[in-house]
Amino acid sequence: MEDLRLLIVDDVEDNRLVLNAICRKMEGFEIKEAVDGIDAIAVCEAWHPHIILMDVMMPNMDGFEASKVIKARFPETIIIVVTAVIDPQMEAHMAAIGVSAYLHKPINKELIRFKLQNFGAFLRSKDGIHTKLSAKEALNPFSSDVRHFKTIFDISDAEGMMDFGVWVLSRCEERKSRSSSKVDPMIELFYELMRQGTRNEEHVSIIIEESFEEIFMTMKLDKPIVLNPKMQELADDLQSHCIIRQNFACVRLNNGRDDLNPTPSVDVIEKAPSSKKEELEKKLPEVVEPTAVVLPLSEIVADKEVRTIDQNEQGMLRQSFIDKTSAVDYVQEIGGDVLDEIRDLESLDEEWIEKIHALEEEPNIENIRSFADGVLGVYVRAINNLFEFTALAYALSSLGTFMKEHADAIINDPKKLKMLVMLTEHLGSDLTSWREHIFSLQDAADIHYLDSSFFSSCMQIEQIVGNKEIETDEDNDMEFF
Amino acid sequence: MAKRVIIVDDSRAVIATAELALETLIESGVIEFKSYLNPLELLGALQAGSENFDMLISDVNMPEMNGLDLARAIKSDERYKTKPIIVLTTESSESMKMSGKEIGVTGWMVKPFNDEKLVKSIKMVLGV
Repeated sequence: MEDLRLLIVDDVEDNRLVLNAICRKMEGFEIKEAVDGIDAIAVCEAWHPHIILMDVMMPNMDGFEASKVIKARFPETIIIVVTAVIDPQMEAHMAAIGVSAYLHKPINKELIRFKLQNFGAFLRSKDGIHTKLSAKEALNPFSSDVRHFKTIFDISDAEGMMDFGVWVLSRCEERKSRSSSKVDPMIELFYELMRQGTRNEEHVSIIIEESFEEIFMTMKLDKPIVLNPKMQELADDLQSHCIIRQNFACVRLNNGRDDLNPTPSVDVIEKAPSSKKEELEKKLPEVVEPTAVVLPLSEIVADKEVRTIDQNEQGMLRQSFIDKTSAVDYVQEIGGDVLDEIRDLESLDEEWIEKIHALEEEPNIENIRSFADGVLGVYVRAINNLFEFTALAYALSSLGTFMKEHADAIINDPKKLKMLVMLTEHLGSDLTSWREHIFSLQDAADIHYLDSSFFSSCMQIEQIVGNKEIETDEDNDMEFF
Repeated sequence: MAKRVIIVDDSRAVIATAELALETLIESGVIEFKSYLNPLELLGALQAGSENFDMLISDVNMPEMNGLDLARAIKSDERYKTKPIIVLTTESSESMKMSGKEIGVTGWMVKPFNDEKLVKSIKMVLGV
C-alpha cells in the first residue's frame, strides 16, 4: 500500500526535528510538518494525513482546539498528543474529542515508534483503505493498550509448552527485559493448567498480547478452570500479576521496568522446558481431583447471596462504543475459516432448545451439565476464537458455571426452573439474532451492540434465579435529567 | 386506566427480565406492557399513529438504530414531544448521558438493573 501520511505539529523547530528524525527511521511513512494549530488544519485540508503527532501549547491555535476541529472534519484521522503538560483534565478532554493517545515529553522515541507501528499496522491491515480506528478489544484483563496483533500458541502437549517457554524467554531478551521471578511460576501455572485441559480433552491455547511496557500471556481452556492447591499457590506467588477468570488465566510480565528479583534467564531456559517435559510424561496419567471452581477472588470470600461485579466485569459491562466497527468491515477482516465456524453454530440452535427443554422435563444434574458444557461450552469456544467478543463468551461461561453451582436450587424449585428455562430460551434467540446481524445480514453498525447487554442479562438471570443482589461500586439508581 | 409502557431493546432476554420486574404493575392493571425488538418498527408505528405510549424505555446500542437517535426522532414529533423516555442501557459514559439529556430524555438507568429501583422509577415518572 501507499505510505501512511504522518503530520508533525509543534511550534518549536528543535522538537519537530527530533520527531522527524525518530519517524524517518520507520519505513512506510511520508512526513510533513506544521508549526501551529492553524497550520495543522490547513495541511489536513490539503493533504489528509492518516496520523498526527500533535503538540498542545502552541501560539495562534493550541493543540486541543486544532484537534477538535480536525476530529470534527476528519474523524478518522488518528491524533497522538505529545506534550510536556501533565494535566489529567486536559487528557480527559483530549480523550473525549477522540484523541487516540497522549504521550508525555521528554520524547521517548521507542514509545513513539511503538505507537506509530501499532496504529500503522492497523491502518495497513485494511489493505490500504484508510478506515476508522476500531476499538479493538484486548483479551487480557489488565490493559487495552496493546498491539493490534496477537501471537498464539496451540498447546496440545509438553512440546507446545516448550515452544511457548522458549518464545517467552527470547522475547524478554529481545525487548531487553529482565526475566523476572514471575516467569517461573507463570510457566509452572500454565503447565498445570495445560495438564488440566489436556486431561479433559479441551482445546488449550496461549494468546500473547504486548503493550509498550508489558507482555500479557493468556492461557485459554474450553471449560471453567478448576484450581488445585498447587495452582492456587502459584497464583498467590504471582500476586497481582495474575488474574484467573472462568476459563482463562492471564499473567503479565513487565518489560524492563521490573522491580522484582530477577532470575537469570539462562537458568529458566535450561531447566524449565526439559524438566517440564519429563514431569509431564511422568504425571499425565494421574488424575487430580478438582478442588474448587475458580471464580473472581472477590466472590470466593464474599457472602454467597451477593453477586459482586469486579473491576474486570465492570470493564466488560461498561465498554465504550464510541469507536464502532461495522459488521461489514469486521466480516471482511476475519475471513472464511472463522465464518464457517460461526455458521456451524446454527446447528446448535436446535440443540440449545432441545437441551433446555430436556432440563425442564427432567431437572437433574446431568441435564444441567449437558446444557452448560455441551451447548454453552461449545458456544464459548467458538466465540473465543473471534477474539472480539470477550464479554459475550465470558457471560456464557459464567452462566454455565452459575447453573452448575446452583444445580440444587434449580432442580428443586419449579418456579426457578421455569424462569431459568424461559430466560435461557430468550438468550438463545438473542444469540441467533446476533449471528444474523453480524455474520449473515451484516447490518449491525457496531459489532459490539449485544456484548454488554448480553452479559448484563446473564447477571440478571443470576439475580432472579439465584436470589442474589447485584453489588456494584456505582450507583444504579435512575438518574433523572 | 392502565398506562401504556413500551420497551424497545434488541435483546429478548432484557425484555423478559424487565417484564418480570414489572410483573406486579402489569398484573394489577397499573400499566400495560408492550415490547419491540426493532426500533425502526416502533418508530414506523408511532409515525403512522398506530402506536402510542405513556412511557418509553429504550436501549441504546441496537443493530438497526441507536436508541438516542430513536429518542431524537420521537421527540421531534409534536405528538410525543412531552412523553417521557427513559434509557435503560449498559452505557454509562458522561458524554452519552449528556447526549441523552440534550435530546430531552427523562432519565438514565444502567443495566444490570435492580428490579425494585426500576419499578420505583417508573412509578415516579408515571405518577402512579
